[in-house]
Amino acid sequence: MAFWPKKKNHDRNRICDPAAIPYAEFHGVGLSIGSRKVLSGLTLSLKEDRVGVIGLNGSGKSTFVRMLNGLRQPDCGSLKLFGALAEAAAPELPRHVGFVFQNPDHQAIFPTVEEEIAFGLTQLGVARDESRKRALDFLTQHNCEALAPLPIAELSEGQKQLVCILSVLVMEPRLLVLDEPMTSLDALASRRIGDKLRSLPQKIVMVSHDLSHLEGFDRVLWLEDGGIRMDGAPFEVLPAFRADIDRRSGVKLELAAL
Amino acid sequence: MISMYLTGNSWLHRTPAGLKLLLVAVASLLLFQVTSPWVFLPCLTVVVGLYATLGREGLAQLKLLRGLTVFFGILLLLHWVSGTLLEGFAVILRLIVLVLAANLVSVTTRMDDMLEAVMPLFKPLEWFGYSARKPALGVALVLRFAPHMMQIFSRLREAYQSRSGSRNSWRLLPPLAIQCLRMSDNVADALRARGGSEGLSDR
Ligand SMILES: Nc1ncnc2c1ncn2[C@@H]1O[C@H](COP(=O)(O)OP(=O)(O)O)[C@@H](O)[C@H]1O
Ligand SMILES: [Mg+2]
Repeated sequence: MAFWPKKKNHDRNRICDPAAIPYAEFHGVGLSIGSRKVLSGLTLSLKEDRVGVIGLNGSGKSTFVRMLNGLRQPDCGSLKLFGALAEAAAPELPRHVGFVFQNPDHQAIFPTVEEEIAFGLTQLGVARDESRKRALDFLTQHNCEALAPLPIAELSEGQKQLVCILSVLVMEPRLLVLDEPMTSLDALASRRIGDKLRSLPQKIVMVSHDLSHLEGFDRVLWLEDGGIRMDGAPFEVLPAFRADIDRRSGVKLELAAL
Repeated sequence: MISMYLTGNSWLHRTPAGLKLLLVAVASLLLFQVTSPWVFLPCLTVVVGLYATLGREGLAQLKLLRGLTVFFGILLLLHWVSGTLLEGFAVILRLIVLVLAANLVSVTTRMDDMLEAVMPLFKPLEWFGYSARKPALGVALVLRFAPHMMQIFSRLREAYQSRSGSRNSWRLLPPLAIQCLRMSDNVADALRARGGSEGLSDR
């Protein structure tokens, strides 16, 4: 009903193919933040159901996984997500890729649980009243209906993280990306979230410092200084990573690694 | 992030957001026509009475005024210096009434209702092909995160006090600005990760 030419002409033909396998293809991808080279020379493709990402702090894990959701764009090389070039796919990516941030406090936009869940639906174009109803149904389906009216700020850390995960899942993404989702959780909450994640039909890419969560994964990427140090099955990569930590901590106190 | 929203289902929660916003807007227009402090006292009683209908948690909200005492003090001092003390009282009482009324709306209104209520104001933008949801979301986000900035400030103050002994310093301003910017970065990322301010519906 606009009688003025629309400012942006959205391409109505979606360019992503949600069923594309591999879902991510990196070719010589590099990324700088400011003058700092954070990632470089990444060439790999992801098709597995469960991919773990490990590495020391500052190795580039967060930056790497943020590219999967279009939160960061590579500045050299080529990145294809769901068969489309990352830059062109960016506006459409949140539909296919759910992103769970490390700190739940950085993810929640709305004050109450029900609103936070409903937001994802209104983003997809569902009307407000309908989105509320569906948010409640969705919470019930996940046995969380009791949380619906509560302010997110008053939940336990485990509940907060669960709400963050649900608020993304309600949009029915193909791929779920999680950046250290267990960091603020106690052992029990961490186990529960881990079980929840295992039960999901979505493909998952997860950064984790707790290596035990990655044992059952299909593939683990070990990042170091913005590149891939090792890439393989968990039974190869995890022991090698542990051995490296042991070796380094035994040798000397490396300031850079703190 | 801290939210000032009060959980509950009081009559104030059930009143439509649009009506509440409209009443506050009309009340502020009227109050700015009045200069006598004696008119504001009954208004203040009414607003405090409204808080009381929310129970103990409602009355606890009045503590919000504590953070403004310095500001009120300065205003009063300026008026005293310029010899208009009575007018000063009027100005402050009016502010208190309006701040309390606005806060009452924000603690009893869900953010998505607020969003929906503010949206019609920006509807004309759609005639020109712009999104009305974007500025409406902006307004709702400001209301939502304003209390959070107060929290950042008080945390900084504690950290400063624990190592310096004094509570206030201009030195707190740069870190406050930086932390608020970082917070807004986080909110922007969170929003972008789920499709941005215009949503995904027409893509
Ligand atoms: N927003 C940013 N501004 C400046 N430098 C950043 C920013 N984000 C990340 N970096 C830098 O990029 C490098 C990789 O960061 P990150 O991807 O967060 O690593 P990880 O998640 O493995 O700890 C770090 O050295 C960090 O300092
Ligand atoms: Mg990180």
